[in-house]
Amino acid sequence: MATTGSTSDEVLDTDEGVGEADSEIESRVGWRYTLGQVKGDPTALAGLVVICFMSGLAAFATLDAVVFDYLSEYAVFAQFGMRKYWIAETFWISPVKEPLGARRLLPPAPLDNAYGQGTWDHPLGTDDRGRDILVRLVYGSRIAISVGAIATVVGMVGGTVVGAVAGYYGGWVDDVLMRAVETLYAIPFFILVLSFIAVFGRNLAFVMVGVGIASIPTFSRLIRSEVVSVREEDYIEAAEAAGVRDRNIIARHVIPNSFAPVLVQGTLQIGTAILIVAGLSFLGFGVQPPTPSWGQMLSKSRGVMIENVWFSIWPGLCILVTVVAFNMFGDGLRDALDPRLKN
Amino acid sequence: MGIYRYTIRRLLQAIPVMLGVITITFFLANAIPGDPVQILLGPSPSQSEIAAIRARYGLNQPLWQRYINYVLGVLQGDLGRSIFYGERVTAKIAERMGPTLLLMSSSYAFAILTAIPLGVISAKRRNKPTDHASRLVSLVGVSTPSFWIGLMFILVFSFHLQVLPSTNLVMPWANPTEIRSAATRLDVLVMSARHLVMPMVSLGTLQMAALTRIERSSMLEVLSEEYVQLARAYGVTESTILRKHAFRNAQLPIITILGLQLTSLIGGAVLIETVFQINGMGKLIVNSIFRQDYPLIMGTTIVFGVVFVVGVIVTDLSYAYIDPRVTYDEVD
Repeated sequence: MATTGSTSDEVLDTDEGVGEADSEIESRVGWRYTLGQVKGDPTALAGLVVICFMSGLAAFATLDAVVFDYLSEYAVFAQFGMRKYWIAETFWISPVKEPLGARRLLPPAPLDNAYGQGTWDHPLGTDDRGRDILVRLVYGSRIAISVGAIATVVGMVGGTVVGAVAGYYGGWVDDVLMRAVETLYAIPFFILVLSFIAVFGRNLAFVMVGVGIASIPTFSRLIRSEVVSVREEDYIEAAEAAGVRDRNIIARHVIPNSFAPVLVQGTLQIGTAILIVAGLSFLGFGVQPPTPSWGQMLSKSRGVMIENVWFSIWPGLCILVTVVAFNMFGDGLRDALDPRLKN
Repeated sequence: MGIYRYTIRRLLQAIPVMLGVITITFFLANAIPGDPVQILLGPSPSQSEIAAIRARYGLNQPLWQRYINYVLGVLQGDLGRSIFYGERVTAKIAERMGPTLLLMSSSYAFAILTAIPLGVISAKRRNKPTDHASRLVSLVGVSTPSFWIGLMFILVFSFHLQVLPSTNLVMPWANPTEIRSAATRLDVLVMSARHLVMPMVSLGTLQMAALTRIERSSMLEVLSEEYVQLARAYGVTESTILRKHAFRNAQLPIITILGLQLTSLIGGAVLIETVFQINGMGKLIVNSIFRQDYPLIMGTTIVFGVVFVVGVIVTDLSYAYIDPRVTYDEVD
């Protein structure tokens, strides 16, 4: 047994090396091709530009709201006056504090309403507590983008592992895993996330994980159906014959070759996750005030819709534009990866 | 396998799923921090009061005992008592079920009735301005938060134009004598329709957009089939091909999607009920989460789960019924 063990190990090593090189070349060619296709698609490109812009805003807001807050605990940084919302408060205006002599519910700059004439200090107007709407929209992008992206990654990783294992092994493993996934799917997405938040609290991290877990069924079903056909390919059989361990076959051969539809779904799912998180914040289950988020701004604006229409228009537009961008890019990606679907 | 055996098999398959739903909901709900009894009795209740309430709701038993009792209860159609209302959960849900089902079914009707013509026209005039317009509508439709559409509708039609009411949904089956400013059954129906328009469209837009996309691509796929080309070669007019050959075959994916879309419809209903202050199950579950009313949270989730599972089974069955090529063995 010991000798056969060592030979199979050798075989295993060489096979792994070959497999790696193979899939690397394949995926590199594939990626270059895909990127070329996306570049030639103006809609997808426009989506990508908006996604990059929003992600840039979100990164800036994260730096100012989270990173500086964390670093300000250390004396080295605190001596410079580093604090939460450092950049915003130094160069612009605080996204959370009511300014002195705040003027509530102002309209965008050139317009006027019952509360007065809009000023260029607040280009998009002010909210119910006199805070600048533009700065709150910028800092609200952090929640939308980060929660959307992280939740999707959680769902993608969880769903891929479950779906690939179920599809590769088949039999009772498949039955058990897919019944479990079906059960999760039978609880409506939104209700599942709501109960998750009820249990673990309104902490942002749990909102992300909750939305991620609730999206596991979508991803696992998708990848399972791919894996079932990939499993029958000759190269999988070759790897099995060569004695490659199952987890290596799944990780290096099965998943990379079934991943394209998951990636497309992932892009679209970020849009869905942003809509869900906005809905949760709207109901009061998302990020808690004063931290700005688009959904929560909409919820606040409900009570003062007649007084200042614009307060309820801007956050909705931000959500709309961001989700449209993810959908446009996702559709473009799908067309590029699978031209047969292009209509 | 006959349709009866197939139906029975699908129902049997649903049992472990529903048992799973009950289990997940039970343990999730029981993991909620905080004490519902405390919330119910206020800040300083006496020890005996607490003990009495705990005994009444069976909260003094160990967790596994409560789980077994709960499952046995559910099997007999007993979802327990709401801690906040003191009523039976089944009674509370039955009371709130009507508005939610009305909202959901009317939204689905709206979505289907708009999506099918839009998708067909889009496919027929592929890459023409009509197609681009319809694709734009569906892109924006899938990307807009339903509750924001609702808010914008209220702003325009209730506040600005003052043509549609934004709250107090009237049920079409309500008794005319109990409704102010309604004398006859017709008045009640008209009022109900006027109240329902905005919630229906805001909830249905997402479904409409999603269905339009599917309808369009499904039509295009069918139109490129060989039998359609053959019909064209025989000189059959394009409109006859569309009506007689392509349309029916293109509807199959729509039916599948209808079942699966139920989950997003239910989620949307929670939000739309909040926006338009409709006293349905969506508002019920949100409030019971705020009040930590475990039995009510569990009951509502389970009922939503049943609605979804039954919906999927019904779509599977109708799929097999509509498409004769599908035998019951294949549909799974």
